[in-house]
Amino acid sequence: MNTLYSNRPVFRVLLYIAALTAAAIFIFPFIWMLASSFKTTKEILESPLTLISGNFTVKAYATLARVGGLPLSGYIWNSIGIVGLSTLLTVFVTSLGAYAIWRKPNMPLFGVLEKMFLLSIMYPYILLLMPVYVVMFRIGLLGSRLGIILFLTLGPIQYFLFREFFTKIPTALIESAQIDGAGEIQTFAKIVIPMASPVFFTVFLLTFILNWENWFPVLVISTSMKTYTLPVVLLNFDSQLEVNFPEIMALAAIVSLPVIIIFLFTQRRVIEGFAAGSVKG
Amino acid sequence: MTAFPVKDIRRYGVLYLFILPMLLIVVVFGIWPIAKSMQMSFTDKGTSLSLAPVYIGMKNYIKVFTDPYFWDSVWITAKFTVFSVPANVLAAFLLALMLGSRQIRTGSLFFKLAIFLPVVVPIVATSVIWKWMYNTDFGAVNAVLTSIGLPKWGGLSRSNTVLWSLGTVELWKHVGLYTIIFLTNLQLIDKEMYEAAFMEGAGYVKRIRFITIPELRPAFMLNFVYATIQFLKTFAVAMVMTQGGPNYASNFLSYYAYSKFRLAEYGQATAVGTFLFIIVLLTTLALRRLMRDRDEGSRS
Repeated sequence: MNTLYSNRPVFRVLLYIAALTAAAIFIFPFIWMLASSFKTTKEILESPLTLISGNFTVKAYATLARVGGLPLSGYIWNSIGIVGLSTLLTVFVTSLGAYAIWRKPNMPLFGVLEKMFLLSIMYPYILLLMPVYVVMFRIGLLGSRLGIILFLTLGPIQYFLFREFFTKIPTALIESAQIDGAGEIQTFAKIVIPMASPVFFTVFLLTFILNWENWFPVLVISTSMKTYTLPVVLLNFDSQLEVNFPEIMALAAIVSLPVIIIFLFTQRRVIEGFAAGSVKG
Repeated sequence: MTAFPVKDIRRYGVLYLFILPMLLIVVVFGIWPIAKSMQMSFTDKGTSLSLAPVYIGMKNYIKVFTDPYFWDSVWITAKFTVFSVPANVLAAFLLALMLGSRQIRTGSLFFKLAIFLPVVVPIVATSVIWKWMYNTDFGAVNAVLTSIGLPKWGGLSRSNTVLWSLGTVELWKHVGLYTIIFLTNLQLIDKEMYEAAFMEGAGYVKRIRFITIPELRPAFMLNFVYATIQFLKTFAVAMVMTQGGPNYASNFLSYYAYSKFRLAEYGQATAVGTFLFIIVLLTTLALRRLMRDRDEGSRS
């Protein structure tokens, strides 16, 4: 097969050079971040490009034990707690909603709900947050972790991934289960969930990655640093004048590494999920 | 839509329990805020948040539409979108061709991961890293440029280079997603078409032009729509890297609205929000229609 196409070695070499250059450009900022986080400020000023530090130091990480007067571990727990709970909730809410709307799209209210949902996700997210601030205030959730968790549940990609998967379930399968006496809840729990477990896992991963990254809702709904997640701490930390550069890079590394690791282990699912979810959106 | 029989509503009534959580979330955090936003855009700023807001008609809109900074923002956002969208789609197409090439076997997964990596890393982190990469004293960008004998790049510090700098970061951050969409579609193209073309003596460029590009038309359209919506809403890079500066040169519409919000100008902020929403909505609808017409045109 390969010989059918251009197999001139020159072409191949050029292609590899291009691919390696591209890969280097995409990865370099992360390498630079890590390298800088282990340097001293003086060394960065003198030789910004050296990747292996002459006097390797973890001082930047040690200084980060407390940020903004609060222990860093508190923010880590915020991130894990808020992201973890909102992820579970998103999977729960969108899978049930997408299933019911797929199952009986003509039920009164179902079509309206889908339209309202589409409208909500089309509204520019950043601008939605301004009135959400007011709504949070009205319902007494402003400044609370619960408010942040609930808001993060409004996820477009998740809904489309479930929707797409459910359309592939043969209706006959569901009907035969119901002839055998299974109700809607049993059908969903015993037939749909086991079938859909791969898509549940994909949605879980994507939601975790997306919510880990999500920062603006956290910034707007929070009234103090107590409810900040890691990206917001980084933003806040970076905008202070007197902090030093290796510490910023160390914090950026702490924010990025969890998702980088998750991504490297689950890359196929994550990439396919992102592609499929966006195509349907 | 046919009327739904009442007996079926009773029979499938339990499905309402299924949609209840989603309905609550969508209404409380979607529809209510959108309605609130439109309502607030007609209220006096001091009373916007109170229970008895004072309505002032179109005044907020008039104030915004007569503000030269607003039109600057519109222009900046439009310019940025018009340059970035084709750049992203083209770069994604070339990267997809490269990754999808049969010549690249060894290491193709590595290349794919590298290009997709920025998509999953939190945008605050990538923006912070790039902000410092552009630093004129010790940033990596200028260190590389000077080491190969090129002049220094103004980066984020000058108003004539800031949009190019942000555009580069945005491309680096998002192009992976567009690339994957192309790549997925590239793999769906019937291989026999290439073989037949090759037999007839069509060279690489011809095969790309007469097979790949026409076959990828839906992917092109999709990426085009996606990128347009994304760039019209550009916000995070301005917020993290430039605060709209220097001298308002990166004051995108979203950031303009946000600055109004920060100044407690709720009426004006939501007026800009409504404006941007309408623009995004119209653009989406127009592009979708264009896409449909093209599809129908090619079928008939």
